[in-house]
Amino acid sequence: MSNKILVVDDDDALREMVGLVLNAAGYQTVFAADGLSAVEVFKKEDPDLVLLDIMLPGQSGIEVCKQLRVLSGTPIVMLTAKGDTEDVVFGLEAGADDYVVKPHNGAELLARIKARLRPVAEDGGIITVGELTMDPRSYEVKRAGVRISLTPLEFKLLHTLAVKPQQVFSREMLLEQVWGYQYKADTRLVNVHVQRLRSKVEEDPENPKIVTTVRGHGYRAGNDTP
Amino acid sequence: MISLLRRSLTARTVFATVTLSAIALATLGGFLSFSLANNFFQNRLSQVLSETERAVSSVQGTVAAASLADETALQTLINSVVPSLEVSGVSGARQVALLRSPGQPQLQLFQSPISQDLDLATIPGELREAVRASDGVLTYTSVSLVREGLIVPGITVGAPITLPLAGDFELYLVFDLGPEQQALATVQRALAVGGVVLLVVISLVSYFVTRTIVKPVEQAASVAESLSEGQLDVRLPEKGADVMAVLARSFNKMANSLQQQIQQLDSLSRMQRRFVSDVSHELRTPMTTIKLAGEVIFGNRDKLDPSLSRSAELMQNQISRFEELLADLLEISRYDAGAVTADLELHDLNAVVGAAIASIEPLAKSKQTEIQVRLPAGNVEAEFDAKRIERLLRNLLSNAVEHGEGRPIVVEVGSNAQAVAVCVTDQGVGMTKQQLERIFDRFWRADPARQRSVGGTGLGLAISKEDAILHRGWLQVWSKPNRGSSFRLTLPNNANAVIANSPLPLPPRTMEG
Repeated sequence: MSNKILVVDDDDALREMVGLVLNAAGYQTVFAADGLSAVEVFKKEDPDLVLLDIMLPGQSGIEVCKQLRVLSGTPIVMLTAKGDTEDVVFGLEAGADDYVVKPHNGAELLARIKARLRPVAEDGGIITVGELTMDPRSYEVKRAGVRISLTPLEFKLLHTLAVKPQQVFSREMLLEQVWGYQYKADTRLVNVHVQRLRSKVEEDPENPKIVTTVRGHGYRAGNDTP
Repeated sequence: MISLLRRSLTARTVFATVTLSAIALATLGGFLSFSLANNFFQNRLSQVLSETERAVSSVQGTVAAASLADETALQTLINSVVPSLEVSGVSGARQVALLRSPGQPQLQLFQSPISQDLDLATIPGELREAVRASDGVLTYTSVSLVREGLIVPGITVGAPITLPLAGDFELYLVFDLGPEQQALATVQRALAVGGVVLLVVISLVSYFVTRTIVKPVEQAASVAESLSEGQLDVRLPEKGADVMAVLARSFNKMANSLQQQIQQLDSLSRMQRRFVSDVSHELRTPMTTIKLAGEVIFGNRDKLDPSLSRSAELMQNQISRFEELLADLLEISRYDAGAVTADLELHDLNAVVGAAIASIEPLAKSKQTEIQVRLPAGNVEAEFDAKRIERLLRNLLSNAVEHGEGRPIVVEVGSNAQAVAVCVTDQGVGMTKQQLERIFDRFWRADPARQRSVGGTGLGLAISKEDAILHRGWLQVWSKPNRGSSFRLTLPNNANAVIANSPLPLPPRTMEG
C-alpha cells in the first residue's frame, strides 16, 4: 500500500509538478490550493503526510499547521521560500516536523518525506523514562496509566533519548537519528521540538526532569547524575 | 583641581574671572596706596617746611632784636628760644637741634641746645653739608625715627643760622611722620579688606552668571548626547527670545529633520526588506517548479533523441546557474537592506576550513590541483557564523582553483590573542594593481575574456566581503601578476574582541621575496 501525501500550495504549476515527482516516486497524492480547503481535504482523505506551503492566501500555513496538529499527529513538512527567517521557527512551533527551503530539488524533497514516513521505532520492548512508560508498538506514552498524546516525531525523539538514558545526544546526532539528515542541518529543529516535547511530557516544563539539557553538549533522558 | 578646571566650564570661568579681577584690584590698590602715600608726604612736607621757616625766622628775629652783651646773654636767649620750637606748630611733636658748623672759633661757654631725646643719627652728615652749602634755603631729608620701640618715618629739615658773637650754626628740626604713617596704614587696610570683599562678590556674581549661561549649554550637551545614542524624540525647552532660545530652536529643528530622515530611511529600508522577501517568494516558487521539471526531463534524457538530450543537459546546467545567481542576488540585497544578522557561536576554525576543503575537493581534482593545508595543532576556536564562514571559504577556494593554473594551493590557519585567520593562496595568474582595486566590486571579473569553467555569479567576493564585515573582521587580498593571489580572512575571537593585527602575514611567507 503506497502512502498518501497531501500537497498544499497556492501555485498551480508547482503543485502539479510536485505531484508528478511524488507520483513518480510511488506516492499517492491529493491537493489543496489554500488554507481553508487544506483542512477539509485533510479530514476527508486522512493523508500519511502533509507538504505545506507557509505562504498561503487567506489562511497562512502556520495557522493551517496549528489546526492540523489539533486533529492529528500526521507528519507535516513545510515548504518555505525563506529559510533564514522567523517564519521557520513559527512553523516549527506551530507543529511542523521539518521544512524544505525553495527552490529545492526532487531528491531533497523525497528524502525529507521518506524520513518522516519511516517507522518510528523498530525495537518492540516497552521502556520507561522517569514516570513515563513508552510502548513502541502502539506509540503510546503513559504517565501513571494516563495516556499522553505525542506526534510520531515527538515519540521518536523521546524514544531515541530514552533507549540510551546514559548517553548525551548532541543536536547533530539527533538531527541524524530522528530527522534522518545525513549532512549539517538547522539545529533550530531540535531546539523547537525539544520545547514542544517538554511541554507535553514534563510536569514542570521550566524545570525538566525527563528531557534534560546538558549544557554545551545536548540532551539526555532523565536527570539522574551519571 | 586641574581636572575640575578641565571638566567644568563654570569652574574655569569663575577661576579666570577671579584671577583677572584679583590682578586688577591689586594694581588699583597699589596705585591708590602709592598716590595717597605721596600725597600725605607732600602735604606734610610743605607744612613742615613752612613751620621750619617760621622757626628759623623767629630765632633769627629774636636774636637780631636782642642786644647781646656777651656769650652768657646769647646762651640765655638761645636756651629760651630754641626749646620753645619743640612745641610750637600744629604738626605735633618735633625735636630741635642747634648745631654749630665746623670750622668756627671755639666758644668757651656756649652750649648748643639739643632736644633731650634727639638721636643725632637723625641728622645725617650729608644733610649738614647740604645745609651749609644751601645759602639760606631750607634743606630736608627723610629719616627713620624710633618711637616707642617702633621705627617710623620722619623728616629732618635744616637751615643755616648766624648768631652774633658765636658765628655760623645750623638749626635742625626733626618731624615725626608717625600719624601720617598710621593714617596711611588704616587706608591701606581698608583698601585690602574692600578688595577681598569685592573679590568674593565678583566670584559669586561670576558663578551665578556663568551658571545661567552654562546650564542651558549643559542641557543642550546632554540632549545632544541622548540624541546621538538614538533617542530621537528628546528636545530642548524653547524659552524666551535670547540666544539660548535661538540655539534651542535651531537644535530642535535639526533634531526634527534628523528624526524625519532617519524614520524615512528606516521605512525605506523596511520597504526594501519587504521587497526582498516578496521577490524571494515570487521568484523561488516558479524556480522550484522549473527545477523539478528540469530534473525530470534531465533524468529521462536517455529516452530522448541526441539533440533533445543535449538540450536537457544544457537546460539543467543553466537552471543551476540561474539558481545560484538568484541566491546570491537575494543574499546581497539582504545585506543592502541591513537584514542580515550573524549567528555567532563558538566553532573550531580548523573544522570549518576542513569542511570547506572537502566540499571543493572534487573541483580541485578535476583541475588536478593539489590543496596543501597548514593547520595549527588543536582547536582554533572563535565565535562566528559557521555557515557564512564556510561559504566564504568555499568561495575563496573555488576562486583559487579557478585561477591557480593547476599549481598547488596553500591554505593556512593561525590565531593570536584577539583573532583567528585563514589565508588561501594560489600560484596562478595573479592580478594587477588596477584589477586589485576592483576585486570586491559586484559583477566584476578580472578578465572578461578568460574562459570560465567554474562559473560563479560575479557576486561571490562582494558577498564574502560583506560576510567579513558582518563579523567585524577583515578580508584582504594580496596579488602579483604571474606570481599568484592570496586572500586572508581575519575574524575577532568573539563579539567583543577588536582585531589589532592578523595572526597571519600578508603576503604569506611562501610568497615573500
